[in-house]
Amino acid sequence: MSSILSRQRIVAGPGYSRWLIPPAALAVHLCIGQVYATSVYKNALVAHFDTSLTAIGVIFSIAIVMLGLSAAFFGTWVDRNGPRAAMVVSAVFWCSGFLIGALGISTHQLWLVYLGYGVIGGIGLGIGYISPVSTLIKWFPDRPGLATGMAIMGFGGGALVASPLSSRLMALYDPSYDATDPTSVASGSAVAMLFLTLAAVYFVFMMFGAATVRVPADDWKPEGFDPSQLKERAMVTTAHVSANNAIRTPQFWLLWTVLFCNVTAGIGILEQAAPMIQDFFREGGTSAVSATVAGGFVGVLSIGNMAGRFAWSTTSDHIGRKPIYLIYLGVGMAAYITLALIGQTSTALFVLLAFLILSFYGGGFSTVPAYLRDLFGTFQVGAIHGRLLTAWSAAGVAGPLIVNAFLDAQGTPGELTAEAYRPALLTMVCLLAVGFLANLMVKPVSEKHHEPKTETEPEPAAAGVRS
Amino acid sequence: MTARIAASWALVGLPLAYGLFETVRKASTLFSG
Repeated sequence: MSSILSRQRIVAGPGYSRWLIPPAALAVHLCIGQVYATSVYKNALVAHFDTSLTAIGVIFSIAIVMLGLSAAFFGTWVDRNGPRAAMVVSAVFWCSGFLIGALGISTHQLWLVYLGYGVIGGIGLGIGYISPVSTLIKWFPDRPGLATGMAIMGFGGGALVASPLSSRLMALYDPSYDATDPTSVASGSAVAMLFLTLAAVYFVFMMFGAATVRVPADDWKPEGFDPSQLKERAMVTTAHVSANNAIRTPQFWLLWTVLFCNVTAGIGILEQAAPMIQDFFREGGTSAVSATVAGGFVGVLSIGNMAGRFAWSTTSDHIGRKPIYLIYLGVGMAAYITLALIGQTSTALFVLLAFLILSFYGGGFSTVPAYLRDLFGTFQVGAIHGRLLTAWSAAGVAGPLIVNAFLDAQGTPGELTAEAYRPALLTMVCLLAVGFLANLMVKPVSEKHHEPKTETEPEPAAAGVRS
Repeated sequence: MTARIAASWALVGLPLAYGLFETVRKASTLFSG
């Protein structure tokens, strides 16, 4: 590893402010969050490659599966080499993915888009997603939920930025494209140009993150912070568990189940948001909700997803990680049941419940690193988080499969009524109940899995040797 | 250091504010019909 990227070169000197770390993390997460804005150019790619929506949707699915796999495989490497190296590698993969994707579009080779944006870009996504997590937790031992909430909020925010920006750029590169007209489709060359532009802009942004990020010195702690206070909470350990040992504990798999159930349930709404609100308020074949208003509903959900990532994760610092997941899953169940049974009686109620469910979906993502820190310590929390993200990949496949299977049996989304959604929504309630029970079963990790106690905290660099 | 912190937050905060503004504008159609 080149010295400028090494962990040893980025140990913060005296006077360095920890408030520079969240913007560094946000710079990376805002860029990789673009993956949730692929719907902007989906129709353009369908027309350009003269293929189906499913074939284009595969690009996104590959990227999400690769995110989980690369986070799991490279987590230990990220912990060992530090956040700067991880951010640089992530930027190289993520931006190369755009460049290869642009080549695939320009040469009419869809497989190159799968390989570029899906596989190579997806590796960048996974490494980028976990790159700042353990560093943030070490800089904010007093408020890890706040710290990870800020960064992972950026992942939700990335789509909010990329979506309107992409529309404007495509209109710039293809003057015949009207972003305000839902029937207008941009040319393939406009999407290729968009990919090249995003690659350049994201590379600069991610390099800012890499240049800014630092790790705290071993003896650093926030002013006024007393680590012994952590011992007062039964669910917060001061011991350390390696990534290899963590995956042998029931706690890891219980949390895996919790994340899988929470994400699958959120995807249940996200997947069909626009047609769903139209179908819920359909009478006599005509919906009271127009396509434009349904688009507004998707925007409200995006805000709920982003706000939940910050607000709920920050709240978990005060009420604890296990109780907050009981809220996500328990109140989520109540919200889903209400939505399924009486959601069609009021638009305001429908929107409010969906907003709440999506805020829990976002909160589930951003609180889990702090939950892992509480259970397994800071030693290899990045690597453990990476392995846990395979639950996201699994949910990314299972969620749409479950929802689409139920809805396909009823007809075509966009032409249904509220009753048609009931089986799918009640299935999500069952999934949340499984997650709720799994969370209830989480107990502190047995001492037999702890790393041997030493004078100082074990260095992540030693992880590769030990694990 | 304070100026550096402010500049760093502005660099990430401004795009985020743009995205949020555009999303709220789009979402407002839900309430205005």
